[in-house]
Amino acid sequence: MKISLKWLRQYVEFNITPEELADKLTKAGLEVESIDYLGSKFNNFFTGQVLTVTKHPNANKLTVCDVNVGDSNIAIVCGAPNVAIGQKVVVGLAGAVVPRNQHDPDGKAFELAKVKIRGVESNGMICSEYELGIGEDKDGILVLNDNVTIGIPLAEFLGLNDIVFEIGITPNRPDCLSHIGIGREVAAALKTNYKLPEVTINESSSSIENSAIVIVEDSDKCPRYSARVIKNVKVQSSPKWLQNYLSAISIRPINNIVDATNYVLMETGHPLHAFDYDKLNEKTIIVREAIDGEHFVTLDGKGRSLTAGMLLICDAIKPIAIAGVMGGINSEITDNTKNILLESAYFDPRSIRKTSKQLGLSSDASQRFERGADPNATIYSINRAAQLIAEIAGGEIQKGIIDVYPKPFTPTRINVSLQRSNNILGTNLNVCQIIELLESINCEHQVAEKQNAEKDIVTFKVPSFRPDLEKEIDLIEELARLYGYDNIETKMQSVIKFTSNPVQSDIVDEMRLWLVGRGFNEIVTNSLQSKELAYLSSSEVVEVMNPISKDMAAMRTSLIPNILEVVRNNIYHQTKNLNLFEVGKTYLKILQESENQKSDENYKEEDKIILAKSGIANFPNWAENERNSDIYDLKGEVEDLLLKFGLDKYKFIPYSTTKALVDMPVSIEINQIEVGYIAKVQKQMLKQFDIEQDVYIADLNINIFKSLSKIEKKYKPLPDYPMVLRDLAFITDKVVPVSEMQGTIYKAGGELLRTVEIFDLYSGDQIHSDKKSSAFTLQFFSEDRTLTDVEIEKIINKIVEAMKVAHNAALRK
Amino acid sequence: MTMKETIDEIRNQLDFEITKVNSLPELDQFRIKYLARKGIIAELFETLKNVPPDQKPSLGKELNELRTHAQNLHDEKKNNLESNQSSQSELIDITLPGRRKWIGSLHPITQTLNEIKSIFLRLGFEIASGPEIEDDYYNFEALNFPPDHPARDMQDTFFISKKTLLRTHTSPVQIRVMEKQQPPVRVIMPGRVYRNEAISARSYCLFHQVEGLYVDTNVTFSELKGTLVAFAQQFYGSDLKFRFRPSFFPFTEPSAEMDISCFLCKGKGCRVCKYAGWLEILGCGMVNPNVYKFVNYDPMKVSGYAFGMGIERITMLRYGIDDIRILFDNDVRFLKQF
Ligand SMILES: [Zn+2]
Repeated sequence: MKISLKWLRQYVEFNITPEELADKLTKAGLEVESIDYLGSKFNNFFTGQVLTVTKHPNANKLTVCDVNVGDSNIAIVCGAPNVAIGQKVVVGLAGAVVPRNQHDPDGKAFELAKVKIRGVESNGMICSEYELGIGEDKDGILVLNDNVTIGIPLAEFLGLNDIVFEIGITPNRPDCLSHIGIGREVAAALKTNYKLPEVTINESSSSIENSAIVIVEDSDKCPRYSARVIKNVKVQSSPKWLQNYLSAISIRPINNIVDATNYVLMETGHPLHAFDYDKLNEKTIIVREAIDGEHFVTLDGKGRSLTAGMLLICDAIKPIAIAGVMGGINSEITDNTKNILLESAYFDPRSIRKTSKQLGLSSDASQRFERGADPNATIYSINRAAQLIAEIAGGEIQKGIIDVYPKPFTPTRINVSLQRSNNILGTNLNVCQIIELLESINCEHQVAEKQNAEKDIVTFKVPSFRPDLEKEIDLIEELARLYGYDNIETKMQSVIKFTSNPVQSDIVDEMRLWLVGRGFNEIVTNSLQSKELAYLSSSEVVEVMNPISKDMAAMRTSLIPNILEVVRNNIYHQTKNLNLFEVGKTYLKILQESENQKSDENYKEEDKIILAKSGIANFPNWAENERNSDIYDLKGEVEDLLLKFGLDKYKFIPYSTTKALVDMPVSIEINQIEVGYIAKVQKQMLKQFDIEQDVYIADLNINIFKSLSKIEKKYKPLPDYPMVLRDLAFITDKVVPVSEMQGTIYKAGGELLRTVEIFDLYSGDQIHSDKKSSAFTLQFFSEDRTLTDVEIEKIINKIVEAMKVAHNAALRK
Repeated sequence: MTMKETIDEIRNQLDFEITKVNSLPELDQFRIKYLARKGIIAELFETLKNVPPDQKPSLGKELNELRTHAQNLHDEKKNNLESNQSSQSELIDITLPGRRKWIGSLHPITQTLNEIKSIFLRLGFEIASGPEIEDDYYNFEALNFPPDHPARDMQDTFFISKKTLLRTHTSPVQIRVMEKQQPPVRVIMPGRVYRNEAISARSYCLFHQVEGLYVDTNVTFSELKGTLVAFAQQFYGSDLKFRFRPSFFPFTEPSAEMDISCFLCKGKGCRVCKYAGWLEILGCGMVNPNVYKFVNYDPMKVSGYAFGMGIERITMLRYGIDDIRILFDNDVRFLKQF
């Protein structure tokens, strides 16, 4: 909401600077977002008078003028042919920025400075109206009326020295969407009074009763409809003062009738509408609901298809306005309008909001009605507008007002408890303070017939322009606001009560830090994606009804596309070696929605952690050869992560079926529960993302991970007896999986065999081309004795035998 | 010269000569001269046969000590010379980079969130969470946004169905927590929220919030101010100025925005604070009694406060990031800066 300071001063007096006022308003909850000094472009321009004009000693066409600019006389070199002694002129001093340079083809602005022109000092410039941007005459300097006072800032002289506040009005304060509304708040903040403009109307002898009929068919949606008729107006441009006010708050002046209704709207906050009276069939206004499919052209020239339930203002045969939203082109005020009907109504906020939403049409009027206008303001504002129209457009105001107001508004009464107010705010207010504070915003203190014994409860009558004040807490908020948030003590006094559950660090936070330590960069990506991508991973896609764009029409079903996008963008920026992870959710629809279910039963959000590796496996190093990442790098990361979080019973099992987006998926299982999988991203997917290098990913379900991860840590005594290490290499067919060999070794090795780790894998010249050699380190120890060579040899023989039987494996010497 | 005197002189000689040894061959000369089978010390042991028997034990002891001393000098020097030699032969260019590993990073949003979390955990808050796909009921209705109310326009909403939406704030978690738990309740609720707004440098279709809620008997607006100032001073530094100004949220009343003095220009005014000297950091207020009705709390018995802040905004202010989209671009060159 734009508020003109000049305009505001009509209703409330104050002696503080605009900045101080802005601070007061902001502290009262009316946030001043910016202050616009409209006259600042005319800084350093003043009215002045030419005292002497002499020829320039070194130039024929120039003169040297002595000019009085109020507090001093200055010398100015002037080139204008029409300069003469005694003229009142506009002078720009050094520092002034001349809006248009008339010697520049583009008319660019330039800044004035003290200069010497052909050897003579010039301290400013006498300006033409073109240069000032207030007219098009370039032929000579602008000569003002003789009665102009000299030394006045130009902005003030032109009436353009207004200061405009941009105020953010919260939706609960429709009463502040006007200059009077802000005036009331200023008065409350400064503990002073505000005054409403006095309205006096000269009515003609003919009564409105003979000129118009108003029928309200739906008084729930239109509780009040007031109308006046004004005849024989002359439609023309508004006077300058009115245009200046409207322009200051960025409303384009149109004609005196429309400008007058706009002025009253911005003054009182009450929306008005003027109809061309002669275009109303049978001089009748009918307020009724629209019929489905009814068509109507609004003032903006757009055809609107209406639906049942929307409220219309009609004449005897046709709609002439969408109530409270916008008038129609068929009854608008034109240059030929002679007679007008003024509407000042109160419409139900919900109805207006619904209509405005459905039509996608919002106006100054609809914004006020949907937030809640003042039902008791219709008469004051219609009279104010009538007075103004009579003043600036002439015409005869017909006698009387048609006022259809079947159920007058009952003021809200609210009881405020002193104790509760202080309990909620942490203040120490007394009854007198409460009354004083609330009365400053027109809440009338109601003296109770039976005074409460403790005087704890005070009753207030709320003014009709404050629809937001309905309950006690609303007044407690007003108390806080008026008392000043700054004046409420800032103190922490509650006792910290910790929960009975022991504090547990968040395993996800720990996983993040672990991965960062392992060289992974965390990413955060959009959880909206295109339907095409979403449906690749699941058929249970959660779709967005009103997406911003097609790329974001669904909730993601997998984190893979996002991480691929990040891989692609980084490769594009020459970062080709990537170790990335993201902690995020995927979203699935699990049930068809039905009316009585809560959303969390219909949708499933899964917490995931995804790792991706692409490019070189290890940090490039001058001494070692580079190697591209492969599936074993990712597997190693996952194994370490599992082991770090106490999950040592994992198995990696290749999928027997295919999996979306990836090739060669390998499931990670713990106790037959799948925690996630590792895989290589499908070539086809990579192609879709323009990625030319392999990408390996691990996709883990955090909740399963959490539920399996060992939380309790318990100490196991370290062995007292030495451990024995033995290396064994077996030659087998290439197809025999290492993990199966490990299994056989473990089984044959018995309980003294503690670990079996593969340390070398060989296939090549030294052995048959179908064969491979797998070398293992076996670790033995006993908790109660030192193992002997004989014992170990026995076990090893058993292992060799078992390997031979199970895998046709030969011991490699 | 007595044998005793000879021993003392040789000891001095040893101490001096060892200092002249600068290479392994020289050290070997030293060894041959003193410690070899036919060296000086061995010869002295030979002459021990000729001394009177009563002097033998004490001189024998002295001679043994001399030999040990010589051997120690030799060994020590040998160690020194060898370690010097090894460092010379293995020519090291210490200007070469070491064998490094990749350096990872936590996303700046995570880092900011972690710091906020840790401050509130110290103040006795617990952590709660809720779904992003949310019922209209939790996102709006139970938070005192009546249907068809203009307050709903404050948050442009993505809808999944007529009654299901992507939450526009983390406040619905307040309702979910209060439904399950009786006061006292003291929780923070971090999470992802969505707004149906055009994507620009200033706004993205989603962002992250931390919501806070404290409900108990006798929780006051004064307490709210105290807690949030304590938070802000821990997060931004204790020398900041702050102000609370009235605002409007349907689920709190009185409501406030908290501003802190701009830490970039120290309140003088700059581009980031739009020349106001103040930065808006969070919204807060006393829980509106209407909200209690939805969770069966008795508004006459309990009171509480709630607050919420945007992680992206705080992150951007902290690091001087002027375009929110870069947070979601995940350019590694950007991520590595954190
Ligand atoms: Zn600043």
